[in-house]
Amino acid sequence: MTDTTDFEAKRDIAEIAVERYKQGRLTRRGFIAAMGALGVLPAFGHRAMAQTKEIIVVNWGGTAKDVLQEVLCDTYTAETGIKVTVDGSGPSAGKIRAMVESGAVVWDLCDSGAGSAIILEQQGMTEAIDYSIVDKSKVLEGTAYNNGVGNYVYSYVLATNPQLLGGNIPQTWEDVWNVKDFPGMRTFRKSVRGQLESATQARGVPLAEVYDALSTEDGIKASIAKFRELRENIIVWGSGSDSQNLFLQEEVAIGNIWSTRAHLLKDQMEEGTFNVSFNGGVIAPGIWVVPKGNPAGKDEVMKFIAHGQKPELQVQWLEKIGSGPINPAAAELVPAELAPYNPSSPQNLAMQILYNDEWYAKNQVSAEELYVDALIN
Amino acid sequence: MPRVNEKVSYWMLVLPALAIMVCFYILPVLGIWEIAFTEPETGVGNFVKMAGSNAVKTSFVITFRVAAITTVGCLILGYIVAYAISNFATRLTPLMVALVILPFWVSVLIRSFSWIVLLGRSGLVNDALMHAELIERPLRLMHNELGVLIAMIHVMLPFAVLPMLTNMRGISGVYVQAARSLGASEWTSFRQVYFPQTMPGVLSGALLVFVLSLGFFVTPALLGGGRVLMISEYITYQIQEFLNWGLGSALSVVLLVATALVLLIAARFVNLRATLLERK
Repeated sequence: MTDTTDFEAKRDIAEIAVERYKQGRLTRRGFIAAMGALGVLPAFGHRAMAQTKEIIVVNWGGTAKDVLQEVLCDTYTAETGIKVTVDGSGPSAGKIRAMVESGAVVWDLCDSGAGSAIILEQQGMTEAIDYSIVDKSKVLEGTAYNNGVGNYVYSYVLATNPQLLGGNIPQTWEDVWNVKDFPGMRTFRKSVRGQLESATQARGVPLAEVYDALSTEDGIKASIAKFRELRENIIVWGSGSDSQNLFLQEEVAIGNIWSTRAHLLKDQMEEGTFNVSFNGGVIAPGIWVVPKGNPAGKDEVMKFIAHGQKPELQVQWLEKIGSGPINPAAAELVPAELAPYNPSSPQNLAMQILYNDEWYAKNQVSAEELYVDALIN
Repeated sequence: MPRVNEKVSYWMLVLPALAIMVCFYILPVLGIWEIAFTEPETGVGNFVKMAGSNAVKTSFVITFRVAAITTVGCLILGYIVAYAISNFATRLTPLMVALVILPFWVSVLIRSFSWIVLLGRSGLVNDALMHAELIERPLRLMHNELGVLIAMIHVMLPFAVLPMLTNMRGISGVYVQAARSLGASEWTSFRQVYFPQTMPGVLSGALLVFVLSLGFFVTPALLGGGRVLMISEYITYQIQEFLNWGLGSALSVVLLVATALVLLIAARFVNLRATLLERK
């Protein structure tokens, strides 16, 4: 099985947080809370018994790591006496495995993905999540694995610029493929992640049956063919900031982009020039994993995870960074004006499909090859 | 014996540069060749996979096409510039040469981003044309091959101008004058007397631009919109997105071999030795 964790998406979310923080949209306190909820930081826990221990939480780095260290970990240390260190070195499945196998585990909690979580569980590299401490009902259905549990979500959404489209916005992915009624450039990711699902819906496949339709080679080829059909109207985005720039510079009118970037764009674009729809979107969770034999002890980490599930923390996360609460109950606390941008609100959830890591593990590499071919050949 | 010693001392002078080349170029390249044949398993699996991939074939076609068009564009524009500088400019010559070299002071990345500002849908060029009411809707000047070509010709131009300039400045004016005094028209004397003398400069400029363009990465990646996927970008894609070092290395091996083949073929038609080594 191939590791399907979307590391780029994770780095992107941390990057967004830093951007918001720099813009002054995020106060220090908010930043800390948001990062905590994001899982980039450990949730707060009390470790009365193990005062001398240190908790190491590993995320995907960037400037976020330094700011986190300064803002959250040091203040946490001041409050509880427990030292918390954020390590931004990127807890890839390979690194976690190497660490566990060498017997020198120094990480307590890692921000991983479903693909990695499944592989690591099969290889016996992670601790089982203790669902007597961590509440299964407080995470999105389908994101509670034996050895991993959801910590936040982000979506692939349909973003549009109504002004460029003359007010006529595509409502479905079938519309996106209709160049005649909706002229303009489209942007898709330079990878099939979250994109092939759109093309499959454009074939007329109902959302719930997307991965069934993609279960055969012919099905994959039929969806890839949709990209070939549309390619004269496609500009691809490589990084999250690419997709943001394409909308800001009015290079594209329509796009399949991350909801986290859409969250930034809604504030940056002028009124009436940006719209987001979760209809036919793909929702992807970040997943906590605990390396086997983590130094701070399994129970302590479970308490952190449980704390991070609190709706009030989860909401801040959406407010500050734009990634969605893993706890659907948090939707009630979301301010009305932000609700349309919440990937895990009941309304938006009903319109989306959960990212299928098993499908990607099996098919991604061959699909990518076909995708590139469809775009350039 | 003294002769040998002299030779040895010459080699001693070359040694530092040679050592740097061996340590930081030749050895890593050999490492890449090794990866190409050993990852994920020993054998020619990567090359078989590559040969069976339409995407790779297309990418090679795009790479060679873009490099060829860039070369032709640079030669035409560069020839005019070099000709003007070496034959007409007088007091302005230093300034003009400086203007040719100036772009080297700005990174390729910045120059490519500048083209984005210029060529974008709401970029300067489109805005100006729209305001002048010459066009009704923005032209698609980038995120396609056109944009890549415009920017690549700009970036590569000095590499074409400089060899031609050196060559032309070494050509004595008396030959053309002699042709003219014997009754040749201005065009004939240029075509039959002047132009043949500039061929070494043209060819070395062409080779330089072509070979550099084959491996070019930044500009196509920024201005191609993902649809002008040159081999160097494809290699990055394989390694960064899929951690597929084997295929990525195999691709670079093929690119290197293909480039060498181009030089060999070129050598059949032009005297490379005369072009590159014994230029007067």
